[in-house]
Amino acid sequence: MSIVVSHLSYAYRSHTEQALHDVSAEFRPREVTLIAGASGCGKTTLIRCINGLIPQSYTGGQLSGQIMLFGQDNSKLKLADISQLVGTVLQGPERQIVATEVNGEIAFGLENLGLAREEIRSRIQHTAALLHIEPLLGRQTFLLSDGEKQKVALAGVLAMRPRAILLDEPLASLDPESGHETLSVMRELADAGIAVVIIEHRIEDVLDIKPEHCVYMSAGRVIYDGDARGLLDAADWREMKLPAPVIIRKVRAEKSTTAPVFQPALRGGDSARYTPLIEYQRVGFRYDDGPEVLHDATFAVRPGDIIAVIGPNGAGKTTLLKHAIGLNRPTRGRVLINQQDSAKLSVAQIARTVGYVFQSPSHMLFAPTVREELSFGPHNIGLDPRTIEANITYALSAVSLPDSANLAPLALSFGQQKRISIASILTMNPRVLVMDEPTTGQDYASYTHFMNDIVSRVNAGADRKAGFYEALIFITHDLDLGITYANRIIAVVDGIIVADGAPEDILRDQALLMRSHVRATSLLQANTSLLGRGMRFMPAASLAGMTRVLDDNA
Amino acid sequence: MITGWQYKPRATLLQRLDPRARLAFYFCFLFSVFMFWDVRVLAGFLALTIVVIRCAGLSWRETGRAWLLVLGFTSFYGLVTLFTGQVGRQFYQTEHVIASWQAPLTLFGWQPVISISTERIYLALSQFARVVDIAAMTVLIPYTFDPALYGITFRRLGLPDKLAFALDLTMRFVPSLGRDFAMTMDAQKARGYELERREGGLLGQVRKLAPLLVPVIIHSIINGEEITDAMDLRAFGTRPRTWLRDLRFAPRDYAVVALSFTMLAVSAGASLLGYGRFWTP
Repeated sequence: MSIVVSHLSYAYRSHTEQALHDVSAEFRPREVTLIAGASGCGKTTLIRCINGLIPQSYTGGQLSGQIMLFGQDNSKLKLADISQLVGTVLQGPERQIVATEVNGEIAFGLENLGLAREEIRSRIQHTAALLHIEPLLGRQTFLLSDGEKQKVALAGVLAMRPRAILLDEPLASLDPESGHETLSVMRELADAGIAVVIIEHRIEDVLDIKPEHCVYMSAGRVIYDGDARGLLDAADWREMKLPAPVIIRKVRAEKSTTAPVFQPALRGGDSARYTPLIEYQRVGFRYDDGPEVLHDATFAVRPGDIIAVIGPNGAGKTTLLKHAIGLNRPTRGRVLINQQDSAKLSVAQIARTVGYVFQSPSHMLFAPTVREELSFGPHNIGLDPRTIEANITYALSAVSLPDSANLAPLALSFGQQKRISIASILTMNPRVLVMDEPTTGQDYASYTHFMNDIVSRVNAGADRKAGFYEALIFITHDLDLGITYANRIIAVVDGIIVADGAPEDILRDQALLMRSHVRATSLLQANTSLLGRGMRFMPAASLAGMTRVLDDNA
Repeated sequence: MITGWQYKPRATLLQRLDPRARLAFYFCFLFSVFMFWDVRVLAGFLALTIVVIRCAGLSWRETGRAWLLVLGFTSFYGLVTLFTGQVGRQFYQTEHVIASWQAPLTLFGWQPVISISTERIYLALSQFARVVDIAAMTVLIPYTFDPALYGITFRRLGLPDKLAFALDLTMRFVPSLGRDFAMTMDAQKARGYELERREGGLLGQVRKLAPLLVPVIIHSIINGEEITDAMDLRAFGTRPRTWLRDLRFAPRDYAVVALSFTMLAVSAGASLLGYGRFWTP
């Protein structure tokens, strides 16, 4: 008995193109299935068809084909019955938690089924024990970390004792350590007899738990269905983030000798001769009467710096960087912006030097058109209309959306909104660009393309052109993003800067990685094993080209 | 910035009471206070308020800011009443002026006069006492009312399952909404947005709020849709639901309800008989 999808096709209401084309697949108990594919490939639609949201909540679409859930036709079942066969953890745990308290959240589905209180209580205990979250019982859901929220959301689904669980991008908001924990739980559940289906484009992480079954989707079709090894052979390394050795093997096997995609810019050390744009001097910070959450932060940002700020969720990365724009004010020490004490500057004044892009584009987009959205910032800081118009043109080309000026920002895809949110800061022509988690919510192919563009606009020269900035800082919990793009890494743990230096210098230090809670990735391992000491780290495709040259010479 | 509910479990009488009993007390108190303008009666209610606050076992550290806000607001309101004598006409016809001060200037032919009278002082005092009573009792709620009990409280007050849970869910979104608002404010400030800067007329002022309101509203709508999906997937609304937490009236709850309604009845009786109207010595 398993989940059998046969010849499933679907088109959403008022959409002409099909979201799914003739999809067939089987998901079996005791197996972890990985469904991989880029944004818009139909992964989420497939999940909605299996759990019955299509057609029961999303009405009016065109659906054909059949889904059997453990021997029962899902089109004949009510959502309440399906929910006891198939549990779904939606993308973004924050957005599916309904209760104010952890016990209430785990109980929610059981309360809806009308179970007796005693039964509900015993299931809460049992599920919490299964996921090792007993200490969270009784806590407020609002105050949990992202990793904890993910587990509580999962507990709420598991408590209903489904025979299969579907997870839509469970790793999206988690740091590598919490992601790894979540995945280990998935493995345990599968081994205990549940069918586990994980939709994820961070496939390298999922491969760690050895999925028995892999499906690769593209444009609403199943391209591959088989084991993990076959998936790695079938997948395009430009579309999906594969383990570094696989990329190296593939790039080497490719006939064409096209140059590797991206060549990183300056080395970090080159910037020392410039005057700092931002300077933190022994900065400490606390919220109101709370404990100090940032301790003694000292560093300078100079032209030419491309800094990745890494560290686990909740380490204080955002708290640290909000000082650079004056949204946090040091409770100890000081921050200099352009050699002026930030205490004497308003956020609006600092915004002329430092452009800060928040993690979530939906927290800032508001205007009816992209053009108005992009002119909001420069208008606020008093740029003249001619300059604003010119800045809009280059900002849109910088984020590869040149023809979008008259579109409505809120109608764009998430990835496009993210780009517009960056463009709306670029139009203010800042000297330093700061981005908080620039890649979340986007698939590998789109964020690679976009980061290539953004990083290539760091220009440390004296004659800074419009559309270029002198330094770039980004927060990420993706170590590979730092290895690929940054010439300097700042690691933050528990509000303390534990390391600051070139990736090739600090990431070779095993003890430091341990202390920073950084999990070594296959890209890091490939770099350290293939490159000599002191050589600039690079992306896997470049490594392939590099080592090919070395091989040829030898 | 709101960082979640201010509620904490505390071993106080107030938090041991059944939420329904507390609601009954709250509303009886509210309506009773509304019936009086006599500053001596209101002083009695103020004393009751202080007793309740003491019973809540809150520390100044937790609630200081809220109390300052309440006192600041009510003092301002009281002072306005004192200087303008607004709303006074319905309580007294003659005033015993103690001091009067004429502005040394005229505005469009009108010379502002500020006079202080016994009546105005007592009106301001009773105004102050009324607002403090009600505000203080209201401020206590988020600190002492377990947010996990909102749903069951409404259910046991007779609302249907769906509506009671919807109200519970609203409570769950209050802190999220606060956080969305703070994040949007930060994101727009980073784009040079300054709420304080005044430009344009009334329409301009409203338009100026769009960068704050639009993202927060859009977020709420999207959140609402996603939560609906999540609830559907967990069988919400398909059959009568169990509420994990239940409420049970203890003898002390009956006592509180009885006292509350006695207070309301006595207040209404006194008020009908003409006691407790505006009073000056």
